[in-house]
Amino acid sequence: MSAEFIVEPKYRSDHRSAGRFIWSNVKQHPLLAFGLVLGAFINALLAAIVPNFIGEAFNAMVNSDNTDLKTVGAMAIAVLISQGARSVVQFVRNGSAAAFAQRIERDVRDELYASLLGKSMSFHDSIPVGETMARVTNDVRELNLMMYPGVNLIIGSGMFLIAPLISTPFIHPSLLLVPILFLVCHVIVQFRFVRQAYPVAQRVRSSFGRMNASLAESLDGVEVVKGAAQEDQEIHNFSALADEVRDNFVAQGRIEAKYLSYLLLGLSFVFGFMHSVYLYQLGWIQIGDIVAFTSLLGLFGFPVFTSLNALSRIALGYASAGRILDVITAETSLDRDREHHKEPMQGAITFENVTFGYVGVDGSEEEPILHDISFTVYTGHTVAIVGQTGSGKSTLTKLINRIYDPTAGRVLIDGIDLKEWDLQSLRSQISIIEQDIFLFSRTIAENIAFGHPDATKEQIIEAAKKAQAHDFILSFPDGYETEIGQRGVTLSGGQRQRLAIARAFLTNPPVLILDDSTSAIDSATEDKIQKAIWSAAEGRTTLLITHRLSQIRWADHIVVLRRGRIVAQGTHDHLLKNSESYQRIFARYESSETQKQRSV
Amino acid sequence: MVAIMSGLEEDNYDRQYTDGYLIKRIYSYFAPYKKQLWVVLFAFMVLSFVSALPPVLVAQGVDELQKNSQSNTVVIILGALFVAAVLQYLANWTRRYLLSLVLGNTISKMRKDAFDAAMNRDMAFYDTHKSGTVISRITTDTQEFGDVMLLTSDVIAQMFQVVILVVVLFSRSVELTIILIGTMPVIVLAAMLFRGMARRVTRQGARVMGLVNGMIQESVAGISVAKNFRKEEMIYDEFVDVNNRSYTINLRRDLVLALIFPVMNALSGIAIAIILYVGAQYVSWGRVDIGSWFLFIQGVDRFWFPFISLAAIWSQFQQALSASERIFGLIDADNTIVQTANVSAKGLTGKVEFKDVTFGYEDDQPVLKNFDLKIERGESVAFVGHTGAGKSTIAKLITRFYEFQKGTILIDGQDIRSFDLHTYRARLGIVPQQPFLFSGTVLDNIRYGRPDATDAEVTEVANSVGNGEWLETLPEGLNSDVGERGSRLSMGQRQLVSLMRVLLEKPSIFILDEATASIDPFTETQIQEALDLILAKSTSILIAHRLSTVRNADRIIVLRDGAIIEGGSHEQLMEQGGHYAELYNTYFRHQSLDYIENAREMLSEVGD
Repeated sequence: MSAEFIVEPKYRSDHRSAGRFIWSNVKQHPLLAFGLVLGAFINALLAAIVPNFIGEAFNAMVNSDNTDLKTVGAMAIAVLISQGARSVVQFVRNGSAAAFAQRIERDVRDELYASLLGKSMSFHDSIPVGETMARVTNDVRELNLMMYPGVNLIIGSGMFLIAPLISTPFIHPSLLLVPILFLVCHVIVQFRFVRQAYPVAQRVRSSFGRMNASLAESLDGVEVVKGAAQEDQEIHNFSALADEVRDNFVAQGRIEAKYLSYLLLGLSFVFGFMHSVYLYQLGWIQIGDIVAFTSLLGLFGFPVFTSLNALSRIALGYASAGRILDVITAETSLDRDREHHKEPMQGAITFENVTFGYVGVDGSEEEPILHDISFTVYTGHTVAIVGQTGSGKSTLTKLINRIYDPTAGRVLIDGIDLKEWDLQSLRSQISIIEQDIFLFSRTIAENIAFGHPDATKEQIIEAAKKAQAHDFILSFPDGYETEIGQRGVTLSGGQRQRLAIARAFLTNPPVLILDDSTSAIDSATEDKIQKAIWSAAEGRTTLLITHRLSQIRWADHIVVLRRGRIVAQGTHDHLLKNSESYQRIFARYESSETQKQRSV
Repeated sequence: MVAIMSGLEEDNYDRQYTDGYLIKRIYSYFAPYKKQLWVVLFAFMVLSFVSALPPVLVAQGVDELQKNSQSNTVVIILGALFVAAVLQYLANWTRRYLLSLVLGNTISKMRKDAFDAAMNRDMAFYDTHKSGTVISRITTDTQEFGDVMLLTSDVIAQMFQVVILVVVLFSRSVELTIILIGTMPVIVLAAMLFRGMARRVTRQGARVMGLVNGMIQESVAGISVAKNFRKEEMIYDEFVDVNNRSYTINLRRDLVLALIFPVMNALSGIAIAIILYVGAQYVSWGRVDIGSWFLFIQGVDRFWFPFISLAAIWSQFQQALSASERIFGLIDADNTIVQTANVSAKGLTGKVEFKDVTFGYEDDQPVLKNFDLKIERGESVAFVGHTGAGKSTIAKLITRFYEFQKGTILIDGQDIRSFDLHTYRARLGIVPQQPFLFSGTVLDNIRYGRPDATDAEVTEVANSVGNGEWLETLPEGLNSDVGERGSRLSMGQRQLVSLMRVLLEKPSIFILDEATASIDPFTETQIQEALDLILAKSTSILIAHRLSTVRNADRIIVLRDGAIIEGGSHEQLMEQGGHYAELYNTYFRHQSLDYIENAREMLSEVGD
């Protein structure tokens, strides 16, 4: 599989199916898995042995005339020792199950993350960050929970189903009848129950989710609701959703109330007791054996009450494994391993009849977003790209650093088709400052130096000064060492943008793409942003997606996009003459200015 | 033992109601289901009784068999056991089903009451209570309340069982019962100890995990940046470090928690050994019969579980009370806005007058003081001033979101307090600074304030601005889904939809808190055109952030510290060179044509 970044994995997991994927990860920890299974087995056995000791004690008391307290004492000590040993075994088992589950979580997350880093930008662009995040955190966590408590409980309680089968023959082989019948019925009931209960549980969850989402919306928009006097309508909607939750909740209660294994448990106790009494009356077993056997039947209680929870954990984990695998196996279209053009870039960009449409999930091409785009940017020029949101502005810029390849036509830099450029060389010479600027939770200095880790302190400060960020950075008590993000200060959009510009000054790329959507509340800030962008654009080819009329005004070339097509391009004066929508923008300004002149 | 582990997350709350009152109030929700609850109670008693029965019956049987191995009484005992098993199932079924029925209904009622209350709280309430906390009262708190009620019912059933068992055991042997009860404090103590420990490690774990999770999230969000700068290697190394830390912390927590069951089992082993040996002693002395000995051994586990659960349930029960307290707190919160009459505002024309009004969000910090203002019907007024000057306060008083402390506000010469709020607000058109859309289509959103508007009316309004050009980037035009809170629309489009909403409402009074977000010039032009249409028809209160809006207004009012200090047209005010000129330099200068035209010279002069 081609990838832009490859880590040599500790082991190869099996990607053919979710089940195989889980198994190939489980296999990596044989010792812990063995500890889990063996521990569960011994644990159940030691629990199942107690009834035998008690039975033995009873026999000793019933049979000997001068009651045999010594044997009872020995049995009491046997109970003590076996339970002591059992708790040690149980701890070892739970401990290994926990370690086992945690390691699987860690390893799968590692593999998933490495594979995410290897995916092309177009992959990351097509999936929202929240979605990826859910895979890396929740889905991987579900795998952990699937193992512990899920598998641990299933194996542990499963052993409680098996252990009585092992100790029973020691009392009398025919006594196996009732436990075996119970086991068969219990397994059948489980299957049927899960099939019935699972969809209802899903419905409960989804209806609750719907209610929650609608509730959050009504309350976040409470000002609008009140302003439009629509409280009654909202109450009516919520009421319907709350009723839906209630109906599903009650339906779930009705199904869970019917859980048949509960009845089976009671009946197996009755028939088991009956069976043992019969054997006693035949003289084949003793009183103590009745006691031991009925206690053994009591062990079935644990699996009956825990299996449901454990099974649903496993189902959830399995589904998560499938989702994780989807990401890992997703093909990515671009390749890093090409040996191509690697020269320093001059920065002349040409679009030649470019058409582009996203490729759908099923591989089909969607309606093009860009149609027949042609324009040229000369080295060192600034081009302003303007148009409504959704007109294709940012998609256009994504073709320049090959996040996407055009469906038709070509994009050239310095006269060379992008496909001929070495991807590493291409991207490292193009800086993109996106609309949402992501900063790491580190110091300001480290964030500025992100693309250039060995920059000196002086270089960082100089870059910050050019980006008009120096002043606000110094206004923090720790200056350049101020932590940003979760544990540190929160920055405004304009401040983040200026840090990103400072970053670009350090890497000094020949081509800069800047998606400027910040808004300045006051003129002083506006001055700063203008200055920062102006100096960033100086001496390099710059593509500016902007809403600022002043920037449009000073750009060397303006491209007006509408519904994915260039409807006009040229200088300001050219557009004023030739583009109607462009005229409309400036017309409002002209009119209010002339109004002023009239009234003065 | 699962009960030990649950409900560890939280336990601080502010108490306002007495427990007695809370229980009475909770009872009022259950009252309509009295019949079902009696049946549930009956099912409980049956369940406890028949659950306690099997060991007693077996003990009885063992006694009988020992005396006479061919005893026929055993048949009766077997019959009784069978009946007990079936009854147990039926009683459990009844209890479980009826309880979920009753709980489902009470919780749903509680939610509706809480939501109803939330919708009818005035805006002042939402200043002090973030919507997130209100949401959690309506969903999480009610959920928790229901969960605990279910759990409580389980524990009650178990306690019934214990009581029955104790009675039976006492009748068999007082001494042995006392010994058995004597082991209880050890178990309860151990359970509580573990609870404390579990609480500590989960809390510590949660804190560190929050951090680690945050870092994992960041490394995921940072992937695209790292790819842009080709720094995959570096970010991967950091991720591995975080991932390993997460592993270590989680494992440590799990290992502590994994101790609970083994220790409980070991303790139970000790208790069983003691009863086994001491019981045998009593049998040998002839103080108890062999069946009772069996019963006592069986009793150990049956005794334990309820007590362990009880140790856990108490604090959970407290939590359920405080959850219900939070719910009732929301339902009972007082509104500050009180209307004195119910005059219909249907024919409102939109004349606004403030007379000597004093208002503060806190009583002792007035924002407006003895404020006077007259706005004629149809007039558009732009308010300008620094943050905190009182611009939005004026709007909030006109919308009647807040109660004012002194003076009168007259709308069409009528006291604002005398209107029926519902019809009054229906005559207002409000566009907040963050335009809010509800999930649904663009069409639904435009007609939000007038659900009876036809599709044709909505289409007409949508096309009245720039020939509906704004719709062209939406995949399905008016029928496009706007996404949650309008997330699929740009800020500019959301703004436009909000304005269309108002255009369709044709309100008497239009209140605009202008957005500060950056909007592309094409959409911006259309927003201005939509505004023109509204200003022409309604009395308009504009909290303006854009120069063009200020200029379009009939009158500009300059506010400082809650008082009007200047008023007039842009040109008059600029000429005066007062506070407005200063505000213009601070906020509007960069929006002027002059600035736009001369940016190039200015920037190249400065150099870098």
